[in-house]
Amino acid sequence: MVYTKKHPALLIMGVLLILLAGFTNAGILDGIIAYLKIGGKTGEITNLGYVFGCISVVIGAWHMWGKHEEGNVDYYLSTVAGGMFILLIAMIVTWFAAPFVAVLSKSLGPVMADKYLHDVLGLNYVVLGILAGIITVNVFRIPAWAENGVRLSRLGLKTGVILLGTLYSLAELAHLGKLSVVMIGFFVLGSVGLVLFIGRRKQIPNSMGGVLSAGMGVCGVSATVAAAPVVQAKPTEIAYTIGTILIWGVGCMFIFPVIGHLLGLGHIQFGAWAGTGILNSAQVAGAALAYQPNGIETLKVAEIFNITRVLFLPIIVLWLAVWYVRREESVAGTQVNVGRVVFEKFPLFVLGFILMFALSSTGIFAPAQHYKGKYFDNNIGESKLLTAEETALLSSEASKVQSPAQAAALGRLIEGRKVANIDDDATLRGLNNAKVLSSDANKVLKKAHGAVYQTAKMVKKFRQWITWLFAFGLTGLGMQITGAAMRQAGGQPLVIGGIVGTIKAVLSLIVILLFVSETI
Amino acid sequence: MSDNDSQNIDLQQEAGAKFHRGSALSIFGSDRWEDLVALVCALLIAFGVYILVG
Repeated sequence: MVYTKKHPALLIMGVLLILLAGFTNAGILDGIIAYLKIGGKTGEITNLGYVFGCISVVIGAWHMWGKHEEGNVDYYLSTVAGGMFILLIAMIVTWFAAPFVAVLSKSLGPVMADKYLHDVLGLNYVVLGILAGIITVNVFRIPAWAENGVRLSRLGLKTGVILLGTLYSLAELAHLGKLSVVMIGFFVLGSVGLVLFIGRRKQIPNSMGGVLSAGMGVCGVSATVAAAPVVQAKPTEIAYTIGTILIWGVGCMFIFPVIGHLLGLGHIQFGAWAGTGILNSAQVAGAALAYQPNGIETLKVAEIFNITRVLFLPIIVLWLAVWYVRREESVAGTQVNVGRVVFEKFPLFVLGFILMFALSSTGIFAPAQHYKGKYFDNNIGESKLLTAEETALLSSEASKVQSPAQAAALGRLIEGRKVANIDDDATLRGLNNAKVLSSDANKVLKKAHGAVYQTAKMVKKFRQWITWLFAFGLTGLGMQITGAAMRQAGGQPLVIGGIVGTIKAVLSLIVILLFVSETI
Repeated sequence: MSDNDSQNIDLQQEAGAKFHRGSALSIFGSDRWEDLVALVCALLIAFGVYILVG
């Protein structure tokens, strides 16, 4: 059959993108850009608008006036219309809808520590993209000219997962404490096993149980996306898993600090608990900051525990690949050869993730000790050193600092005009969070931190690519979720997620109370 | 093949859409082929970033 539809939609989308890029470049949209606080994205809007606009115009013209015959050219080029349809919606969400939600949320003021409502509810491009896709398919339906290309979304997600490997490095992970690795390993593997067990008892589909176990066991969206193809998860099941994780995380963000204070947990204890029990990275950070608003010790420990989970992603994917085939083939009554399953079913894109992780660990993209592209380096030029006025301001307020560690770090900063070492950087960030000094002095501390905390340009670019690939993939995924499919999935996944999440939170709290003291 | 299996099929109807190639979730005929394309795309992006940004 011929897949290409003679329809002007792709051509029109191309023209719209070129107009958007042109208007942005000409400053016509400056008012909107300033209101949404997306000034840093004007280059991206212009570049992506022109590039994808021109591609769409050329292929759109071929769709309209070209001669189409059955074959690979027709099949693959016909997907461009659907792909651009997803991308256009993802662009609207990422550039306009998500920033608009953030502006509205910030106008309400912080609701928890320094976190705003959209941070707490996770209303970012991920959730809004899925929602936009769901609304599109259920309110307007997918147009016939886009149906073929909407199936490109999973390719985008897989490519994004592979590139995730560039954000981590072995040198950074090597610093992890043994306890964090053992604890996280136990709870990650335990959560996966528990979800699979309960899912089997509750007779939910294997694909649903598999993807939910990865989401509840490892960490949020990335693990869910990575495990989904292995267990043949449907879009509805992926969306349910992401929804379960976020809803669970919102509750935890409020409850964890209350319980932590009631039990009198130390900063390290609470950081370890939040990093183990809460799944979404932003929500882990939110709970940690809520627990210790005047320092970052809790946040650091929580982040360490959070990072550790990524180590287990390939193991979980492999486990689920074998588990899924065993479950499916046991129904069919056939014997499973584990070696064959590993060879045939282990996803190449997870190997790609490991490959990128290995490349990143060599230091090819950023200094080897980087984490998510950020690293400490205080070999800075004269222009980045604090000025005499700035050090004088800090000196005049130094007497306000009560903590000996913070006072010592501040003294070294004043003397050297730059942050002396990575530990001082963490201590001074805590001093900044504590808001002991005046706002002007805190601005100086922020400047000093920014001067020594570098961001690798290549990893920053990879992050942009990952954001776009996930925005594209998840918006397209939302477009495959119909109301009927959601009703069919029912509420079981939310119940199972809640049960497993609660068990994990309680058990990890007991382990922390028994084995974690003030040092790791 | 169970009802949950949505891959490696020639024709599937889901949400009203029919495809004679690939599956309801992918334009590619198999997961392995899709993985390979994703890997190639990621390597091209990585190479591009390395050359242009590095």
